[in-house]
Amino acid sequence: MLPAVTAPAPARLRSVTADLDALLRRVAQRDVDAFAEFYDQTRARVYGLVTRVLRDPGYSEETTQDIYLQVWRNASDYNPSAGTPLSWLMTVAHRRAVDRVRSEQAATDRESRYGAATVELPVDQVAEGVLEREEYRQVATCLGTLTDRQRECIQLAYYEGLTYVQVSDRLSANLATVKSRMRDAIRGLRNCLDAA
Amino acid sequence: MTSPRDELLSLATPYALDAVDDAERAEIDRRVRAADAETSAAFAGEVRQVREAMALVAGTTAAEPPAQLRDRVLAAVSAEQTGQVRQLRAPRRRWTTAAVAAAAAVVIGVGTFGIGYWLRPAPTVTTAEQIFAAPDVRTVSGQIPTGGTATVVFSRERNAGVLVMNNVEPPATGTVYQMWLIDTEGPHSAGVMDAGAIAPSTTAVLPDLGSSTTLAFTVEPGAGSQRPTTTPFASLPLS
Repeated sequence: MLPAVTAPAPARLRSVTADLDALLRRVAQRDVDAFAEFYDQTRARVYGLVTRVLRDPGYSEETTQDIYLQVWRNASDYNPSAGTPLSWLMTVAHRRAVDRVRSEQAATDRESRYGAATVELPVDQVAEGVLEREEYRQVATCLGTLTDRQRECIQLAYYEGLTYVQVSDRLSANLATVKSRMRDAIRGLRNCLDAA
Repeated sequence: MTSPRDELLSLATPYALDAVDDAERAEIDRRVRAADAETSAAFAGEVRQVREAMALVAGTTAAEPPAQLRDRVLAAVSAEQTGQVRQLRAPRRRWTTAAVAAAAAVVIGVGTFGIGYWLRPAPTVTTAEQIFAAPDVRTVSGQIPTGGTATVVFSRERNAGVLVMNNVEPPATGTVYQMWLIDTEGPHSAGVMDAGAIAPSTTAVLPDLGSSTTLAFTVEPGAGSQRPTTTPFASLPLS
């Protein structure tokens, strides 16, 4: 499940991504050094998310590599008016991870391949200095404000790669309910983050 | 009764969370394009909000990737950049014995053999770009037991790959490295590299992957062989 930490924290969000925008522009100009810097600044978030979804170190490494190749190819597609660079990157990363987990599941029974290999990543694996501690606490606190049912929907959809239709089946809840839980979860999260 | 507009907007969050399958994603894309400007802007706004929120949430699941992943990523990117890979600092690691044994097991049990391609010294940017631009681009990478790294960036759709070898020792005098694409019929030569072809970083095109599942490397005498005469010293699964 998502971490449900209740420690209060001051807000200092979005600071980590301050210069990603400039780096991404240089990456679009085929600047390998800028790409390396972009990788270093974002690798833990990308790899962490991919590992969360795929739960297999080998698949996670391959997929992370594919994600960064996609970044290299498509950096010029990034449109600052459509979102932050981090959001763009994590969207690419999540989509790729979900595509991979679904294709692996199509080939293999999920329970036999993935069931026993579930890895819950403890938060103390977070590399020192990679994340702003305050930002982490802030987001974790806000996740803690979600209801269990909201968290469950996000967990199944975002981290286990289920479609909302599959989530509905899994939870024996109707589609409209599942969609509203997802929407309410994100709204709750945003309200909490914005209030910080 | 829910209006079509509300029904579409109710899909924005699942869409932004990738909680739709490919067919439904395409259908949603089509409906958003066909919707009035206000509706499509509202949809895009909600998608953006979800993605920004989840980008922040990714801060709570961060985990350090293995250090060698950086080398592989940069090697693959550099291959596309110039067709000639710049030298990367790559720690020397040993290929596991098991991997080599597995490669050997694959190679034995041969069928027919093809005449190989001679490797070009570097891929054209066009070829590399085609591979990197393919929707199904994949990457596999591994350490060579005698030192160095081999990475293949490939696309089944393009039926081609780019091989990048970093910090690989040149073959002994009088021998070459030969690459073999292995399918159900056995190994087919994918080209050779002599000592002169091995730079600190070497790239080469694999122009015809066919249905091969493995790229294996052997040491061969002279200018190469029509079939492997030695046990592969390394192999990469093309899956």
